[in-house]
Amino acid sequence: MVYEEPRCSPGGDRFMLIEFGDELTLELNFFSQSLARATLEQKITGVIETAPCFSSLLLHYEPDDVSFFDLQREMLRLAESISEAGDVEVDSRLLYFPAVYLDPWTAAAMAEYREKINPAKDPDPEFITELNGLDNVNQFVRVHSGTEYWCAALGFWPGTPFLMPLDPRCKLTAPKYNPPRTFTPRGTIGMGGGSTAIYPVDGPGGYQIFARTPIPIWDAEQRLPEFADQLWLLQPTDRIKFIPCSVQEFEEIERKVEEGSYTMNITGYQKVSLNRYKIWADGLDLSSRF
Amino acid sequence: MLEVIKAGLETSVQDYPGRRGYLNLGFPWSGAMDSWSFRLANILVGNEVGTAGFECQFIGPTMRFQCSTVIAVTGADMQAKLDGVAIPMWESVAVSSGQILEMTFARTGARGYLSVAGGIDCPEFLGSLATFHKAGIGGVERGAIKVGQQIRLGDGTGTAGRRVKASARPQIATDKSWQIEVVRGPNDDWIDEPGHARFLEAQWKLSSKSDRSGFRLEGPEWSFTHKALHKLPEHGSDPANIIDQGYPVGAINLAGQTPIILVSDGPSMGGFINPYTVPQCAFWKLGQSKPSERYLFKSISVDEAQQRARDITSLCNESSII
Repeated sequence: MVYEEPRCSPGGDRFMLIEFGDELTLELNFFSQSLARATLEQKITGVIETAPCFSSLLLHYEPDDVSFFDLQREMLRLAESISEAGDVEVDSRLLYFPAVYLDPWTAAAMAEYREKINPAKDPDPEFITELNGLDNVNQFVRVHSGTEYWCAALGFWPGTPFLMPLDPRCKLTAPKYNPPRTFTPRGTIGMGGGSTAIYPVDGPGGYQIFARTPIPIWDAEQRLPEFADQLWLLQPTDRIKFIPCSVQEFEEIERKVEEGSYTMNITGYQKVSLNRYKIWADGLDLSSRF
Repeated sequence: MLEVIKAGLETSVQDYPGRRGYLNLGFPWSGAMDSWSFRLANILVGNEVGTAGFECQFIGPTMRFQCSTVIAVTGADMQAKLDGVAIPMWESVAVSSGQILEMTFARTGARGYLSVAGGIDCPEFLGSLATFHKAGIGGVERGAIKVGQQIRLGDGTGTAGRRVKASARPQIATDKSWQIEVVRGPNDDWIDEPGHARFLEAQWKLSSKSDRSGFRLEGPEWSFTHKALHKLPEHGSDPANIIDQGYPVGAINLAGQTPIILVSDGPSMGGFINPYTVPQCAFWKLGQSKPSERYLFKSISVDEAQQRARDITSLCNESSII
C-alpha cells in the first residue's frame, strides 16, 4: 500500500521518520531517494542528514534551527512537489557478483547455529524453498539468481546494501532468524523479509543464508582500485547480478582480491527509468517462475 | 606523546558530536557516550568542547606522559592516581613529563573521560577522530588503544586548578537505578496500549550483552497491534519485523521480544520496529550505567526532550567553571 499522505513520526529529539507506504517497490524507493536528494538540494532548514531506505526516509535535524512541526510541514510540501514530477530516470551501474549458492561456508554457519542455539532450525535454502512454494533448492537458486537486484539503500553497517529483486517473478520472502546467529562469514548473501543483503564482514546476523560471494563490498585495507577513495564499493541506484559459480572459482577470485589483482566487472552506461520499468513489470505473468 | 602501559577495557579516542552525516552510508555517529562529562573535561583543559579525548569503559588505562601538560578526568570515578597519588576529578591537573597516570575500575558510573590540553593527534576519518572499534575506523590505529602504543598529543596549554561547579556536573546514580527519558515513536503504533503500559511500568535490567553498539534490556513481554500481526510477508513474519528502515540514534529496537537501545556505535538501518527513542539528553545516563542496573523509562514530549538537551548544553561552557 502507498499512503495517501506521507506519515511523519518523531525519533527522539533529533530525528523524523517519514514513511511513504508499506511495500517493497521500485517506485517507493525512487520516491524516498528523490525526496532525500531534494531535501539536501533545497537545503531544507535544520536538516543535517538524510537516510532513505526502501519506502521511508529518516531525517536527522537540528532542533535549534527547526521545530518538528515546521519540518513536518516543509517535508510534506516538498513530498507533494516531487510526486508531481513525472518520470524519473537515474544512472545505474550494473555490477556482476560471482557467488557460490548452497556453499560449504554458510552450511557450516547453519550447522554451528543448530548445534549451539536451535537444533530444530531447518537448513535455510530448503526452508525458503518450501515457504515460497518452489519445486526444489535448484529452482530456488535459479529464482534468486535470476534477477538484477536494486541497491535501495546503504546502512546497518558501513557500505552494506539493502537489495530488492527488480524482476517481480523473483520475489521471495523469508522470516528473520529468532534468535539471531552469532557468526556469519564475510561475503555471505542472505535474505530477510523481502530484502537481500551481503554481509561486509564476519559477524552476527539474522537473515536466512544460502550463498557467498568473493567480491568485497567493504575493504579497510583498500586492496582494489575501487576502494582507493572510499572503503565501501556500492551506492544506492546500483544494480547487482549474482552469477552462480563453483567453489574453485570462488577461491581463485578470493586469491586475486587478496593480491589486489582482481578486476571487477562493472557496467557503467545504463539508466533506469521508473516508467519503463513499470510498463515492463506490469506486463509480466507472475504465476510463472524460472 | 604518551605511552600506553595498560590499555584498560576498550579505551578509545572519541570526540563530540562524533561522525555525523554518514548514516546513509551505514556509519554510526560514534563519539563520547556521556557527552556531558566529555564536554566538561575539554573545557577544564582549555579545549573546544568537541576536541578528541579518551573514553575509558569500566576499567581505565595506565599511561606514561612523555611531555608536560594539563589533563582532566570526569565521568565515572575510576580512582585516578598520578604517580600513585590520588588526583581530584572534575578539575584540571598539571602533569609533568615522565609521570604515570593510573585509572582502575569504575567505582561509580561506567565511563570515565580523560581530556588532555590540545587533544589527541590521530588521523581524521569522514570528519571525525571518533573510534568505531568494530569496523576498524577512526581513533589510534583504527581501534581501541593497545599496550605499548605511543599516542601523539595535540598542542595546547591548559591551566591547572580549574574546577567544575558541583551543580553543573551530571549526578551519577549510586543506587543502581536510573530514570531514562524516552520519546514515543517512530513505530509506536505497532505496540498495543497494554504493551506500552508494561514498557513504562517495568523495571528493565541492563543485560551484560551490551556494548557501544547496543544496550540489551531484560523485562516483560511486548504485545502488538493489528498492524504488526497482519501485514505483507515482505516485512518478515515476526510481529516486530518491518520493511527495513532508518534507525534513529537512541532507538529502542525490538529484536523479536528483546529491546535493544541502539547507542553511539549502533546500526543505522534494519528491519525491526522502534517503538520508542531515547533522546540525546538521556545518553549520559546510558553511558554511565552498568550491566544489571535498572532502568525505569519516562515518556516525555519531543519539545521537552529538546529543551532538556539545551539545558545540558548550557552547562557545558565556561560559566560552569570555578
